[in-house]
Amino acid sequence: MKKVIEGSHAVSYGVMLSKVQVICAYPITPQTHIVEKLSELCASGELPAKFLMVESEHSAMAGCIGASAVGVRAFTASSSQGLALMHELLHWASGARLPIVMANVNRALGAPWNIWCDQTDSLSQRDTGWLQFYCESSQEAVDTIIQCYKISEKVSLPSMVILDAFYLSHTFEPVNIPDPERVNRFLPPYEPKYKVDPKDPRSFSGLTPPDFFTELRYQTQQAMEEAKRVILQVDEEYQTLFGRRYGLIEGYRLEDAELVLITSGTVAGTTREVVDQYRDEGKPVGMLRMRTFRPFPSEEIRRALKGVPKVAVIDRNISFGMGGIFAEEVRSVFCNEEKRPVVFGYVSGLGGRDITRETLSNIVEYTLEQDRPKQDVLWPDLRR
Amino acid sequence: MKQKITFKHLHEIPPISISLGTMDWNKTGTWRYLRPRYVVKTPPCNEACPAGNDIEGFMVLTREGKYREAWDLIKEENPFPGICGRVCFHPCESSCHRREFDETLSIHDVERFLADSQFHAKKVRHAGKIRRKENIAVIGSGPAGLTCAYHLTRMGYGVTVFEAEASPGGVLRYGIPEYRLPSAVVDHEISDMESWGVAVKTNVRIGRDIPFEDLKSFQAIFVATGAHQSRHLDIEGEHLQGVFPGLHILRRIKEGQNVPLGRKLSIIGGGNVAIDVARSALRLGVETVEIFYRRSREEMPAFAGEVEEAIREGVTLHFLVSPLRIVGNGARATGMECIRMSLAEPDGSGRKRPVPIDGSVFTVEADAIISAVGEVPDLSFLPPEVSIKAGVIQTDEMGFIHVRNYFAGGDAARTDRTVAMAIGSGKKAALAIHEYLQGNWSRKKFQAVQVGQKGTLSLRKYFHPVDGETNPPVISFQEIHTDTFEHRARVVHPSLSLEQRRGTFQEVYLGLSREMAGEEAGRCFNCGVCNHCDNCWTYCPDVAVKRKKDRYEIDFDYCKGCGICFEECPRGAILLEEEVR
Repeated sequence: MKKVIEGSHAVSYGVMLSKVQVICAYPITPQTHIVEKLSELCASGELPAKFLMVESEHSAMAGCIGASAVGVRAFTASSSQGLALMHELLHWASGARLPIVMANVNRALGAPWNIWCDQTDSLSQRDTGWLQFYCESSQEAVDTIIQCYKISEKVSLPSMVILDAFYLSHTFEPVNIPDPERVNRFLPPYEPKYKVDPKDPRSFSGLTPPDFFTELRYQTQQAMEEAKRVILQVDEEYQTLFGRRYGLIEGYRLEDAELVLITSGTVAGTTREVVDQYRDEGKPVGMLRMRTFRPFPSEEIRRALKGVPKVAVIDRNISFGMGGIFAEEVRSVFCNEEKRPVVFGYVSGLGGRDITRETLSNIVEYTLEQDRPKQDVLWPDLRR
Repeated sequence: MKQKITFKHLHEIPPISISLGTMDWNKTGTWRYLRPRYVVKTPPCNEACPAGNDIEGFMVLTREGKYREAWDLIKEENPFPGICGRVCFHPCESSCHRREFDETLSIHDVERFLADSQFHAKKVRHAGKIRRKENIAVIGSGPAGLTCAYHLTRMGYGVTVFEAEASPGGVLRYGIPEYRLPSAVVDHEISDMESWGVAVKTNVRIGRDIPFEDLKSFQAIFVATGAHQSRHLDIEGEHLQGVFPGLHILRRIKEGQNVPLGRKLSIIGGGNVAIDVARSALRLGVETVEIFYRRSREEMPAFAGEVEEAIREGVTLHFLVSPLRIVGNGARATGMECIRMSLAEPDGSGRKRPVPIDGSVFTVEADAIISAVGEVPDLSFLPPEVSIKAGVIQTDEMGFIHVRNYFAGGDAARTDRTVAMAIGSGKKAALAIHEYLQGNWSRKKFQAVQVGQKGTLSLRKYFHPVDGETNPPVISFQEIHTDTFEHRARVVHPSLSLEQRRGTFQEVYLGLSREMAGEEAGRCFNCGVCNHCDNCWTYCPDVAVKRKKDRYEIDFDYCKGCGICFEECPRGAILLEEEVR
């Protein structure tokens, strides 16, 4: 069934179709529409879930952890400062190996106050042990939510589905709402191996001495590695049932490319236009869209960029003192390679500044012109 | 017990930190250097009750709705819960620790509720169980005599109570007005006592109908004849018409006889009799009722609550006034000549001594005058070897006269004349007589069954001793962990409005509902006594507190001595002591 809905509501429908049983949330712009819609669906009875209104994002995640620990499918959504407040419990959720799925709408972190699109909030949670998926469209958002429950429950790790603020969260577009019956076939009820059960009392996440801590961490890393295979396998099943797949990364006109723009989120749409324009002019430019950030698709990137001389990474985020976070990670996957591309790191579109065709063209022109970047961090849309 | 689980290979380790076995192998008790111990301490109310009631105990039962059990518990110590619940001066409430927290518990109201709840209950006949050969004579069927008879009967002795009046009860029947203590309540509690086999021979006055010497056939004699003679004013005009002793008037009112009190009544005295007469007179329609007392309100021996109610009902109190003489018109009294007093340094009784103020004489008009300046016992029937000092029989603290097999109690043997004290003295005498007759009199034994240090004792303790619980120390307020309680107001006892009280002797207080009684009992801290609240069980982080049928046990294999149970015990019934290994 096709519906014209905003990206936020696409997430809400994904949650409903996944038969989530507990939603625990606290409002924050630009995420609020997701949980507002969910509260309506709960109130109307369409979604027979428990909706817990809590007093903070920290409690929202705590609620999800509790629900998930008893073997219940749980969801929350947040943004920016709210996500930052959850930080401690994000670690706990992954350490306890709970397959919670949350949506994060990328918004800049204060100070100063800014409610617009910026990836620094979710990327700051890079090391919390959550899978991260950056969506380009509302369709991808609804599909990814459903996929993520399956992936998370298979690898026992939580997933974060990430949407650009306003560009995606508040933009209406036609979305194919998956058929509930098929979703049921795709996504069986959650049956955890271990759960809190009064009939089988156990202690969970208790003090673990140095004797075993490394082994638990090793297993989490193994699960992350395993997740790459699982994501692809689930993606394939999804395609069989619903006709759509997304992969870990998405290449666009990569054939014989001399310059590949690496993007994530909605800017991929604009980039496609720019790539087409350069290709029309006979310039071999391509695009690689990062969909998964954790686990990081190192091998897939190396394969996709084999023989490519130059890469321009567009980061709507910054790690102060280093630069764009995607660029940093892309550089790292090539560091042990004999032949590797020159990586240009562009920080652009911070705090909701539009990344226009013009900005992207400037990036392409500069990258093609220069043999090497003059600086590690390039600022293509900085007012000078 | 399972052993510690060890993982040899990576694949054996679960994906999360989760317990796969138990921690039974880890005997954390070895870490302990402090050791909790359940103890019983003496609640301050129990110590303060002259009748030796287990107040804390009946609060628990009341809260649980076990009214019969609560009533039975009281009856083990005190045969008169309905009477005490109404007329006792409740020293228990003045020592209640709840007073330091919000308001003292309304103990007497709960006690009365329990008695009321059993008022229509089916009577159980306990009679016919005389199993001892000794017989005891009790002279007087007031609270002291009946209590002594009751307990001795329960112990299996044959007891004969001699009562000079036509009905048993003494001061309960003839001395306390109906609006405070309905006769039906007295009848009920006495008849319940008779079901135990207590026999009262009425209309037999020892010394008139039977000489004291004729009681020789009894193995012990308990004298509890009370104090029924009003003290004389010793002033001019005392014998004029219209001047009455207070007790005499109270008795006539109770018997339903006419009392010629006129329209304006003056009462001399500051005790309970004065107040009782005053409030009764108002009910009979006397227009002006004035009390004249030679000291101030602080020194009044009457119960403060009674004084307050008297004032509310319209009695006028004149303090620091003493009558000089009764004036009259012929044979009939028409008023008093009084003098104002001031208070000087305390006298022998500890109260400030009143001294007349020169030139302050004034006259009061009155249709009748009541003298209520105290009562004295009539002990003329006793043989001369019984020592009488300051008007009362001299006994030891258990009521033994130490002359032949004579014992005494109640108002005839003491000056702190209250119903509760009389009940307590009757109980002590019963125990003393029992020990005397069994030939194993020992002061130590009496001390072991004491409750606290104020002289009250428990027969329950005597007959059902618990190891190590002789007379534990009284718990202090500081030992109560008040953080675990919520502030809640004391119950307000429903009562007749002032209008409703006029012209009727209907009981002023109407009794608590079940809900009110339950809530009030629920306010009890249960000071120093475990009431199975489960706090220790709930909070023990080592699951070392085990719930047994009627108590808790600590599993010292696992108790780390953290002291949380001690901290969380609301009522100080857990001690934390140094571990001695």
